[in-house]
Amino acid sequence: MLPADAFDAEGFLRRLEDWSPEVARQIALAEGIELGDAHWEIVNLLRAYYQEFDSSPAMRPLVKYCGLKLGADKGRSIYLLALFPGSPAKLGSKIAGLPKPDNCL
Amino acid sequence: MSDDETRSLLLVFRHSPYGEGLARAGVDLALACGAFEHPVSLLFAGAGVLQLCPRQDGNSLGLKDIGKQLASLPLYDIESVYFDAEAGTRYGVSPQDSPVPAEPLDAQALQRLLREHRQIISL
Amino acid sequence: MIYSLLVLSDPTRGSMARNAAAFAHTLLARGHELHRVFFLDKGVLCGAACGIYPQDESSPLDAWVSLAQDHGVDLVLCVTSALRQGMLDEREAARFERGGATIHPAFTISGLGQLIDASAASDRLITFGG
Repeated sequence: MLPADAFDAEGFLRRLEDWSPEVARQIALAEGIELGDAHWEIVNLLRAYYQEFDSSPAMRPLVKYCGLKLGADKGRSIYLLALFPGSPAKLGSKIAGLPKPDNCL
Repeated sequence: MSDDETRSLLLVFRHSPYGEGLARAGVDLALACGAFEHPVSLLFAGAGVLQLCPRQDGNSLGLKDIGKQLASLPLYDIESVYFDAEAGTRYGVSPQDSPVPAEPLDAQALQRLLREHRQIISL
Repeated sequence: MIYSLLVLSDPTRGSMARNAAAFAHTLLARGHELHRVFFLDKGVLCGAACGIYPQDESSPLDAWVSLAQDHGVDLVLCVTSALRQGMLDEREAARFERGGATIHPAFTISGLGQLIDASAASDRLITFGG
C-alpha cells in the first residue's frame, strides 16, 4: 500500500515508477473496482499499448487493439464499459499507471 | 473526388521529428481527428519525411517517440497517409521501413491531393 | 463567410501573431464571421496575462482581448501546448497543483477537438506561423 501523498488530488500516481500490481489494486479500489482476471487482461493490454505506441489510447483504438490481441468478442466498447464503467480508456489507463492525461480528448 | 475527401482535412507535416518544429503537435492533432472520427489525410513533405524514419529513438532524448506514435494511426482508422516521394529520396526515407504504411506521391499526385481537400493545416 | 484562425506563432518573436489579430479584426470589420481562434504550440503564449511590452510597442494581448470582449470571439488555447508552457487557468492550476492562473480570462483552455470543430464549422481556416 502506498501512502495517500503518493497520489494527487485526482488519484493519479505522482511518480509512475511507483506502479506495481499491488498499487493497481489500490487505485482500482479507490475507484470502486475490484480487479479480477478480466480486468487484469485489459490493464496489461493498456501497459503493452503504451510500450508499443508511446501514448495512452483513446477509446476507439483501445477497442480495436483489444479486438486484435484478445479476440473479437472482447474488442467491443460494451465489454470494456462493463469492466471499467464510464470512461474505460481513461479509467483503465489510470489503474494501469499510465501518465495523467491532459484532458485533450 | 469522393464526398469524404471534399469534407476531409489534410494535415501536412513539414517538420523533422525532434527539432524545434511542430511534429509533436501534428501527431497529436492527427490522433485527435481519429479519436473524434473526423476524416483526415496526412502528407509528410520536406523535412517532415524524417518523421517516417525507422529506428528513431525519441525516448533517448527524453521525448515521446514520434515513430511509435505514428505506428498507432491504423488503430485510429487513419489510413490515408502519403509522403512526397522527391523529399523521401532526398532524405533517404523509403516506404518499406516506415513505422506506418505511407504511399509515395510524385509532384502531380501531390497537387491533386492538395486540390482534393477542403481544408489544409500545414504544421 | 465564416472564418477560423489557427495561430502557431510566438507573440514575442516577429509580427506573425500580431498579423493574425489584425486579420481577425479586419475580417470582422468587413462583415465576415469569426467562429474561433485556436492557439497551438508557441501560439498559446498569446494568452499570457502578464507579458509586459515596452511602452512604445503595442501589446499584442490587447488586440486579442478586444476580439473576445467586444466581438464575442472564442479564443481557445490547446491544453497540451498550454500546460507545458505554464499557461494555466484556475482549473488546470488546481488540477496540477500550481499556484494560480497565468492566462488572461478572455482565453479558455481546451482540447484539439475545438480545432477540428472549427475546421468543420468554417468556410476558411487560416494558419498563422509554422
